[in-house]
Amino acid sequence: MNVYEVFLKKPGRDEFRHAGSLEAPDPEMALMYARESYARRGEGAEMWLVDRADVLVADEADLAVNVDKPHRHNDGSLVAARRKDRREGAGSDE
Amino acid sequence: MTYSAAVRDYLLAFADDEHLVGARHTSWIGLGPFLEEDLAFCSIAQDELGHAIGLYGLLLADVGELDTFALLRASQDYRSCWLAEIECRDWNDSLVRHWLYDRAEALRWEALAASPDADIAALAARAQREESFHLAHADQFMSRVAANDTSGRIVDSIRRLAPVAAGIWDATAAESDVLAEGFVTDSSADLAARWNDQIRADIARWGLAAEWSDAGVVAAQQHRTQRSEGFDAFHDDLQRVLSLDTAATW
Repeated sequence: MNVYEVFLKKPGRDEFRHAGSLEAPDPEMALMYARESYARRGEGAEMWLVDRADVLVADEADLAVNVDKPHRHNDGSLVAARRKDRREGAGSDE
Repeated sequence: MTYSAAVRDYLLAFADDEHLVGARHTSWIGLGPFLEEDLAFCSIAQDELGHAIGLYGLLLADVGELDTFALLRASQDYRSCWLAEIECRDWNDSLVRHWLYDRAEALRWEALAASPDADIAALAARAQREESFHLAHADQFMSRVAANDTSGRIVDSIRRLAPVAAGIWDATAAESDVLAEGFVTDSSADLAARWNDQIRADIARWGLAAEWSDAGVVAAQQHRTQRSEGFDAFHDDLQRVLSLDTAATW
């Protein structure tokens, strides 16, 4: 048996989303089982299956080095705080 | 819709087949060979029960009678064929029954899809969409297990069950009137011939060799008025909850 990853897309502008995985002996039966396991209540209008053996998996250690880099989280809050300080400190200059 | 007695008997035979084979299939809930197949097989069972409800609905003036009618009739008032009634304890038997039954069921719906009766034609059109999945499932599973049937279990199941399945084509007593009315265009005998060609072609395509001889099931069923051995126990099981309180409102 092979493992397949199942992706479903609802009608409209939503993207494909991972729905789950399943085991099947081959691609034809995988499509049949995916329909019965993940789409039997009309959960999606389109479905992708990917053989898990075809998924490229990144090294977790490579990803971990980027966990502690808050300066890359640019949500604008640092700039906003500095502008606020400037505004309040400058008083009548505003 | 008012149907003639002949048409009612004809529809009842199909409804009882769908009901009982669906109920038998459900015995695999939680016990299927693997999770994905468990879901797929029980989905097929649910479809067959849905077909039964649709057909019973055409026969009942009040849908409220459905449970009583489907489950609490006397055994001689059922018109099911033996293939739909019998217990298949082994997965290979259940799988082979599913294939033999759905091959026949698809032909029966096809014949009804052309009926001038709008209600049955609409029900048939819906059922046909589900049947295409049932047939694909049967073919995919059977072709894979046939390729690995070194022990001959699948061939053994076919040899034992094909003669029982022939009983699907045991016509109700007044089928000639149903044909004369034009309710359905193909006789059970015509459909049986096509079914035989299809199942033999399937067997050959799967690389199996299975021969069997007529077990006289059609004659023994006596126009579907005789129940198979073991029917009463099955019927008791189906009635168990409902008969706790027949007056209860669900």
